[in-house]
Amino acid sequence: MTAPPTRAWQPRTWLFWFAILGGVGIAMLLARSRLDKAHVALTFLLVVLGGSSAGGRALGVSLAGTAFLAFDWFFLRPYETLFIADPLDWLVLFAFLITGVVAAHLMERQRREAESARTRADEIDRLATLGAETLNAPRAEEALDAIASVIRQAMATDGCAIFLRQDDGGLRLASGSPASETTEAHSALLSYTVDHAEAAAQRSDGTLTLVGDTLARRSPTAGYSELLALGIPLTVRGRVVGALQLSSTRPFTVSDDQRRVLSALSYYAALGVERLRLAGAEEEAESLRRADALKDALLASVSHDLRTPLTAIKAIANEVWRGGDPGRALVIEQEADRLNELVDNLLELSQINAGSLAITVALNTVDEVVGAAVERVEAAHGASDGRIEVHIANDDGILVGEFDFMHTTRALTNLLDNALKYSPPDSSIVLRAWQHRDRLLFAVEDSGRGILPGDEERVFEPFCRGRGLADGVRGTGLGLSIARELAEAQRGTLIYEPRPGGGCRFTLSLPAGTAPAE
Amino acid sequence: MPATIDHTDTDVILVIDDEPQIRRAVRNALSDPRRRLVEADSAETGIDMAASERPALIVLDLGLPDRDGLAVCVDLRSFTSVPIIVLSARHSDREKEKLLDAGADDYITKPFSTLELKARVRAQLRRAATRPSTDPADGIIIAQHLTIDLIGRTVKRASDEVHLTPTEWNLLRAFIAHTGRTLTHSQLFAAVWGEAAGDAQQYLRVYVGQLRRKLEIDPVRPRLIRTEPAVGYRFEPGE
Repeated sequence: MTAPPTRAWQPRTWLFWFAILGGVGIAMLLARSRLDKAHVALTFLLVVLGGSSAGGRALGVSLAGTAFLAFDWFFLRPYETLFIADPLDWLVLFAFLITGVVAAHLMERQRREAESARTRADEIDRLATLGAETLNAPRAEEALDAIASVIRQAMATDGCAIFLRQDDGGLRLASGSPASETTEAHSALLSYTVDHAEAAAQRSDGTLTLVGDTLARRSPTAGYSELLALGIPLTVRGRVVGALQLSSTRPFTVSDDQRRVLSALSYYAALGVERLRLAGAEEEAESLRRADALKDALLASVSHDLRTPLTAIKAIANEVWRGGDPGRALVIEQEADRLNELVDNLLELSQINAGSLAITVALNTVDEVVGAAVERVEAAHGASDGRIEVHIANDDGILVGEFDFMHTTRALTNLLDNALKYSPPDSSIVLRAWQHRDRLLFAVEDSGRGILPGDEERVFEPFCRGRGLADGVRGTGLGLSIARELAEAQRGTLIYEPRPGGGCRFTLSLPAGTAPAE
Repeated sequence: MPATIDHTDTDVILVIDDEPQIRRAVRNALSDPRRRLVEADSAETGIDMAASERPALIVLDLGLPDRDGLAVCVDLRSFTSVPIIVLSARHSDREKEKLLDAGADDYITKPFSTLELKARVRAQLRRAATRPSTDPADGIIIAQHLTIDLIGRTVKRASDEVHLTPTEWNLLRAFIAHTGRTLTHSQLFAAVWGEAAGDAQQYLRVYVGQLRRKLEIDPVRPRLIRTEPAVGYRFEPGE
């Protein structure tokens, strides 16, 4: 990113060009009698031009000086003296010297311009790439991570952190590079930067100063040396949306060129932070909207789903109390169980919707989570049932995944429960689990009636039940909705497709994991 | 306010719960001529009675008005090792794990069925009665279809020897040492790897899974190493 101000000393190039100069000189000396002054001057000039272009201005000027002396000594009469007989020869000699030196200067300038053009082209290229990455990154956090890492590399500091300014004015770490280390926030520096909307520097002597707008070329360069940390306000449309922090354990300096790049990069960072903020606001609005929709659905269902079991309980309790068949009390227990299940479901759904669901992603085995779900479902439907067939593709080592055990058990339980409820009483339910690339797949298949076309997505909505269900099968319409929410809360998906040959196939997909080698 | 059912010198079961309805439900579920039920309606009387009545088992409700259930559990454990079954309304898995770490032996979520409560109480009493015999003198343990030789360090499934890795063997030892008890993931980890935290902890479930694939007839429906969802495991060799 930084153009080297002078070329490094290259002894080989110097040696090479002085050798050429010597060689050319000796060759011409041998043919001196047949050469004119113009031949000598032009030949030496060629060597000077070659040297300047290969070795820079210093070499060019040195070659011109040496050639000047050699010209005088060997090729201007009287030979072997610096004395010159013909005054016009002075003109030739000095014209040669001046041409040589000017040529060396011009070549150097041209070289520098080319170099700086290349550097800028690199910068523009890098910014364009970063811009494209920022816009294309699927998540705002990933875009910020990319920006933070580019800034850290460009500035060659130990750490770069991007902070988001929250509504209450506080700063929250949005991204840091390197990501693994917990970035220490220089909070005093950052609040200073944000309050003044101006870049601020923390020096190795402990002082905290404002160093001006990074864009303003006039601001003193001295402000950007001996830094321990540099804070830069991130502004979008004149509003400070966050701050950028560069920090290093050893004092660092930001050059003019780096400052120009930094100001462009910090603009990207500002856009990234703004995008993150907007995404957060949108999520919040979405969760409010969903909570609202759920509340409506809940109120509508309370009348039906809660009152039906209550009515049954009340009626049977009265019947038993009046001396009816005490065996009917069993129905009370069943209805109470149903109510209990509904309360559980409602609590779970409200937790998911409020975003307060605790998720503990850990390395778990497929055997165990499937076992827990099957045990739960078999206990609820009668252990002797034996309708659930399980096939787990464990042949190439035990299948493991990165998921939350309880939530996955719950999702599978709901799928198995539905399959048992909505298929003929003696038909079997198949649960298959296998790994495909980096995903674990669990498919639950039944041979019931399947879901009517048009209802495939509707069945995942809370309180919605598919149409055309067998009579007498009761449910709350929450099972699939909860299962899908639980899957998505842990980077999974849940989809429905008709089973070939009739029935349903629900496929749950979760991230696979790696078992330890032993 | 002890309400006694029978005065023969048999198992005493102490129920600590502040709600009369729940005490009644527990009493009905556990009534048995060979048992005597005593009841306490607060943590304080409960702890006193646990000391004076020397119960064979304690049923403890977590939602007591005067003390936090977890603290009561720790207090009880300071002077008695009898099985404690905790009753509680919906609580999180982390709380369950904390409870077991605090010394509870089992937990039941309200509302519970009387059948479930009976089964859990029976299992705990049986385990308490057979506790000393977990490490037999000859070192041979018959667990369902397995013959485990603790001295020779071999496991036979029917007549075929099962090869276990050192980690799997240590896991099995830990399970045998805590037969019938729910071991939380952290208790099991501490028993096998010691207190040192390490990479192994995240792999605990995988090691158990691999052990099951070698020992269980159906590793998905394990009968020997049972899963306590999100809490831990329980080793049940059977009668």
